[in-house]
Amino acid sequence: MLEFRNINFSFAGRRGAVEVLRDISFSCKEDEIVAVVGPSGCGKSTLLSLAIGLRKPSSGEVLIDGRPAQGADRRLGMLFQQTTLLPWRSVVENVELGLEIRGEPKEKRRARALALMHQYGLGGFERKYPHALSGGMQKRAALAQTLAVEPTVLLLDEPFAALDAQTRVVIENDVVKICRAGRRSMILVTHDIAEAISMADRVVVLSRRPATVKKIYEIPLSRQAASVADVQSTPEFAHFFKEIWDALDISVTGMSPGTESDVSAAA
Amino acid sequence: MTLTHRLLVILGRLAVLAVILVGAEIGVRSGALSELFFSSPSEVFKALLTQWSNGSFLQDVGITVLETLLGLVSGSLLGMAIGLLLPQLRLVSHVFEPFLMVLNGIPVIVIAPLFILWLGLGILSKIGISVYIVFFAMFIPVYTASLRLDTTFVDALRVMGASRSQIFWKVIVPSSLPSVYTGLKIGSGLALIGAVIGEFVASRSGLGHMILYASGTLDTPTLYLGIITLALFAAALSFAIDGLGPVLVHYRFSDEK
Repeated sequence: MLEFRNINFSFAGRRGAVEVLRDISFSCKEDEIVAVVGPSGCGKSTLLSLAIGLRKPSSGEVLIDGRPAQGADRRLGMLFQQTTLLPWRSVVENVELGLEIRGEPKEKRRARALALMHQYGLGGFERKYPHALSGGMQKRAALAQTLAVEPTVLLLDEPFAALDAQTRVVIENDVVKICRAGRRSMILVTHDIAEAISMADRVVVLSRRPATVKKIYEIPLSRQAASVADVQSTPEFAHFFKEIWDALDISVTGMSPGTESDVSAAA
Repeated sequence: MTLTHRLLVILGRLAVLAVILVGAEIGVRSGALSELFFSSPSEVFKALLTQWSNGSFLQDVGITVLETLLGLVSGSLLGMAIGLLLPQLRLVSHVFEPFLMVLNGIPVIVIAPLFILWLGLGILSKIGISVYIVFFAMFIPVYTASLRLDTTFVDALRVMGASRSQIFWKVIVPSSLPSVYTGLKIGSGLALIGAVIGEFVASRSGLGHMILYASGTLDTPTLYLGIITLALFAAALSFAIDGLGPVLVHYRFSDEK
């Protein structure tokens, strides 16, 4: 279980401190998928970088299973938006990278990587270099790389944004299945409302900067449906989509400078 | 490329070479080309025999080759090491950047006499000059690549719990290899230039010395001999460096895309 407790985060900008996150609290239990949506630039990804220790919160704490997260915590795994497959390593060498860093003996980590690759439909691509793989397969390999170290909490930072629509649904579906099978906690940061609704059990909506938790929606659809695609054809999907869209308060005419304070006042 | 295409290319190249050689031979013998400015292949060959028999040719070639290779290897290693380490020490790199840029701007020909002064007339001063220019050829691409390194890779490894030295060896060093290859390509040409410039400024042997001496004594065939030998060596060196590409950046050369 991962918990954000009263997180505040600001950084020193050119014209004084920039407040990014304000009093953010929510948690992601074991065997739960939580999606975080918010307007672009609101600090969604910052939240994840706080969890993995790349940045420190100005105040508040991140707890994993009740204990404060240590930078680069072994219980955390993260899937990034950009590829993290090192181009000079073959796919299998990439998948075993996390185990290599932990000092696992070569045969053991190789066996584990090969088994994972087989499980994720990457059999036969072990000796290829990442550039020889399609976008969807690269994502699968990155997922195998992340899961090889068996993290209990999985963090996803808009990981599917660069995939084409069909591949995307397939991978989203795989990720949900893998996550549920391992009873992991998963936090998915996304700007895609449909993705959030169809994958998550709960959706946390953040406001514009400084981001506060605007609303949290319980979404029962993902756990009931057989696949991500099925969720999107239920009548409830449209209902949640409309609600979250309204909560995000995305002005179709574009942002005006006044809206920022309005949003924080409303929240 | 089809087989006939390749065959035609080879035949064409041989034809061009033949035209140059035969043209020079006929031109000089007939007196159409002045013997002071040009030289026939047979005269150049005679010069080679003379230089060979008095034992100076192999020695001159050997010295220039040695200076070039030692300059290339040590300059590249130095450029690589500093290019990789400097970006890790942000403060130090900010302090040294302008100094390095100014040093890089000095034309090698004007700094050569200083190296002669410091390191003497022997091969050490030529290696020094070579190291000096090769260093920058390697340092600049490696340094810029390290600064522009994709931070996602570094972040991903940090999340996996990698230490600074693991990040250095598993990400920073391998990601610099394409730039090392670029540095070697540029550096190999410059290493030779450095060695020959050193020999031009002050020396007792080497191909540069041979050329300068031939020029001073109006020995045109030996002058051409020196130029041709240098050209062949430069070509062989660049060919060898090209062969290093698939070793250094094997993944870029893997044929599957």
